[in-house]
Amino acid sequence: MGTLELNQPGKTVLMMGDEAIARGAIEAGVDFCASYPGTPATEVPESLARVAERFNIYAEWSTNEIVAFEAATAASLAGLRALVAMKQNGVNVCADFLMTVNLAGTNGGLVLVAGDDPSAISSSNEQDSRNYARYADLPLLEPADFQEAKDMTKWAFEVSEKLGLPCILRSVTRLSHSRGNVKLGELPEKKRTAKFEGVYISGAFVAAQHAALHLKLEQVREDFEASQFNFYVGSKKAKFVIATCGSGWLYSREAVAALGLEGKVGILKIGTTWPLPEKFIIDHLKNVTEILVVEEVDPFLEQNIKILLAEQAKTLGPVEVYGAKSGHLPAYGELNQDKVAQALVSIKGLKTRARDEKYVEKAKELALAFIPPRMPTFCTGCPHRASLWAIKSALKLDGRDGFVTGDIGCYSIGAGPAGYFQLKTIHCMGGGIGLANGFGKLEQFAFNQPVIAVCGDSTFYHAAIPALINARVHNSNVLMVVLDNGGTAMTGFQPHPGSGFDALGRPAPTVEIENICRGIGVEVRIRDPFEISQAVQDLYDMLQEDGPRVMVFRRRCFRIEAKEKLQKKYYVDQAKCIGDDCGCARFCSRVFNCPGIIWDQEAQKAKIDEVVCTGCGVCATLCPGGAIVVRGAAS
Amino acid sequence: MEAGKGSADLEQEVLSQGLCTSCGACVNICPYIKVVRDKVAVIEPCGLTEGKCYDFCPRTPTDIAALDKSVFGKTRTDYSLGPYIFIEMAQARDSEVRCRAQYGGVVSALIKYALDTGEISNAVLTRPFDGVMMPASVLVAESSQSLECAGSNYISSATLAKMNEATKQGNDSLGLVGIPCQVLALRKMQAAKHETGAKGVKLVIGLFCTWALSYKGFSEFLKGKVDLSQVRRIDIPPPPANIMMVETAAGDIRLSLDEVRKFIKPACGVCYDMTSEFADISVGMVEGIGDWNTLIVRTPAGKRFIDKAKKAGVINTRLLEKTRLEHLRGASSIKKKRAVDAIQKRTNDKKNLLYLRLSAQEKKKFL
Repeated sequence: MGTLELNQPGKTVLMMGDEAIARGAIEAGVDFCASYPGTPATEVPESLARVAERFNIYAEWSTNEIVAFEAATAASLAGLRALVAMKQNGVNVCADFLMTVNLAGTNGGLVLVAGDDPSAISSSNEQDSRNYARYADLPLLEPADFQEAKDMTKWAFEVSEKLGLPCILRSVTRLSHSRGNVKLGELPEKKRTAKFEGVYISGAFVAAQHAALHLKLEQVREDFEASQFNFYVGSKKAKFVIATCGSGWLYSREAVAALGLEGKVGILKIGTTWPLPEKFIIDHLKNVTEILVVEEVDPFLEQNIKILLAEQAKTLGPVEVYGAKSGHLPAYGELNQDKVAQALVSIKGLKTRARDEKYVEKAKELALAFIPPRMPTFCTGCPHRASLWAIKSALKLDGRDGFVTGDIGCYSIGAGPAGYFQLKTIHCMGGGIGLANGFGKLEQFAFNQPVIAVCGDSTFYHAAIPALINARVHNSNVLMVVLDNGGTAMTGFQPHPGSGFDALGRPAPTVEIENICRGIGVEVRIRDPFEISQAVQDLYDMLQEDGPRVMVFRRRCFRIEAKEKLQKKYYVDQAKCIGDDCGCARFCSRVFNCPGIIWDQEAQKAKIDEVVCTGCGVCATLCPGGAIVVRGAAS
Repeated sequence: MEAGKGSADLEQEVLSQGLCTSCGACVNICPYIKVVRDKVAVIEPCGLTEGKCYDFCPRTPTDIAALDKSVFGKTRTDYSLGPYIFIEMAQARDSEVRCRAQYGGVVSALIKYALDTGEISNAVLTRPFDGVMMPASVLVAESSQSLECAGSNYISSATLAKMNEATKQGNDSLGLVGIPCQVLALRKMQAAKHETGAKGVKLVIGLFCTWALSYKGFSEFLKGKVDLSQVRRIDIPPPPANIMMVETAAGDIRLSLDEVRKFIKPACGVCYDMTSEFADISVGMVEGIGDWNTLIVRTPAGKRFIDKAKKAGVINTRLLEKTRLEHLRGASSIKKKRAVDAIQKRTNDKKNLLYLRLSAQEKKKFL
């Protein structure tokens, strides 16, 4: 039995941040979970799906975030407790619904987990989703450690239910994806049944609803004042205080300890960051003359505290505030204890240092001695490598300076050497085909470059269909290439509407990409990118046509394929590979550049790295010498 | 052969100048150069400064006299038609062959005979109507398949790419039917210092050619007029008709030749060869006689084979009248003069003939 199901209140277990959030939801008796996968929030719904049957939870991977949020809201309106989790970009997708559900209100506890990804470790943007709480007048909680991740989630349902509003819980990658101790709470007996009653309309008496929303926020502020998630550590007499929230808490504590400043610097840790517990904060700032605000990413807490200080100027007197605006901490990228310590050293003019100044450089140098430098690349056997080679070939053969608008998925790294630098634009999900729509209508301005929009299968369902309809209706000259690898591969191969199974792994109906295209009325062809010559020829032919067209490059993600069935073993026939005498100029290891092919310095020939090769065989079709062959095949 | 040039030079001097004939000589010898339909491109720079691709190309420097020596053992004396042993009119005896062929059926009959007698093991041919307008280069082992390759649709395919594929698989007894640029490239390959499978081509039948059409332009033009999948035969009747006949299952249509000429590949404008001067045997039409061919036998190997085919009753031959021969010479000379003019226009330099390296006598005749 996993820790999620463990019914041992008081027992301390090791949990990933996302699992702790899921456990908090289970302890709150969550009934319904709908989500679209996205780093770093993916493991919250994944964890809930894992125990869905045990706790009678309905769990689904929705087509996109707004659908997920709307579905979860429906459960709330029927009196159930519901959770929806997403990465920062997903919150943008939800924004339209978010800005109306705040006015219309909810019933059962509804928690929106926003997983932010500072430094964009696995994202196309860096964004601070906390701004949505202030924007939409919704309560916001920020867990600072693993225990809080669980406890706050549980409490978030109560906050939501009491106010009749969704409650936003904001995590960040370091919290979601690392592990820490969590003391388990009780597992509840669930008895809820769903029943819809009442009226939930945004737009009937909007101004009045908006005023009521503000009152609700004032009401929750009262509760926040007494929250256990807001506390102060350090000397009561400290004149210098770090105000922090979320991941900043642990960084601050470590930095203060490392510099030996425990007696001089207090830490005011806020868990309920919107609306602010104003009285609580004022109480702790009475003797303070300097504040350093530590938070990821935007100066959200910083600005709100500054407003509070301005309002309380008479009582609190002049207070110096350090943080992003003062330049002591960045308003971008991840923080760490060094950055916080450096800010303290700089502000306080300290001679002591938390670490050797060159620590980071030295650590990097040391690490690089053991880790070979590597560019981000596609896995061995990845169909995207073949697809992008086919796209590159077709565009070059076409010769009209065609280009590719990119989208969000594994294939995004096709903008770099892994995909032969083919993607020239990347924005949000669906952005590629949307842009291509516009490029495809520039004919009257002497524009004659062909445009290919690449789009993953999951992205197709998520965000590409309206743009494709638009292309059809306006007869835009765009060739859309759907890179269909059978699932939402980038986040761990969660199912999508074309996968044929659901979040619990049970068989599910499929909605075929080609049927959608045909329904829209665009020509669609389906090809296997591993049959690369045919793929190039068809793509070339389609490039010669006008209007919207769709090519589906269909080939299952090879990481999944290789797990499911035994693959062929390839090797380089050392007699046939003639090395640099070939004239291919090391095409396989240098240009096609699959990590499964290496250059054997000793033999001066190509070699297959059998440990990583997945046996897709594409290199064998490209080798001019026919030197890459299947083990066991007659030569 | 010019030393020290590679794919980057090929791209710069030939491909980007619209001089590529899409013969396919540079395709399938490395992973960097690809052909789709009649479009050739260097997909990625290989980084090497020298390459076979450059040396094999029919539009990179070509010394006509040196190539004459390497193919025929001597230089030419007939500057209009190139080296030959004899010229006749010929016709396939098999009426079925004649019926399916463009003119006298000589090429189809000879290839069929060469395959049947084991003269060659396979033949690299071109199937003119492969479902779409684009012809397909095919490797044929059975003589029965060769008839599917009778006729022409005036679009060229990358025949030598197919040949490279075939020789890579160890084929060393091949026949090949090609147009002049393809035959020229093949001979450049065979004469090159590089190791190539081209030496495995034992019988080269060259076709007469005045120009080829670009696939994209012409098929788009035709698409607006007929159902491309219904096209069965395309022919240009002798002047003064000035038309192209397109025969389809749903009836024939006549296109103005002036309209069609707009789609001639730019590479054909600089072509110096109408009669496939480097072939073993060259075959073309006889103006005004629809069911006979002109047959030029050029090499001893070609002569031996033709003598054998005659004896076996595969083809009938008769004398090509002097006036017809002179007419052919005249037509070929006009093409050469036009090519030289076009090149000089391109280079804007009377002495810069791009790829052509001509002997003093030739220069005197055509410049």
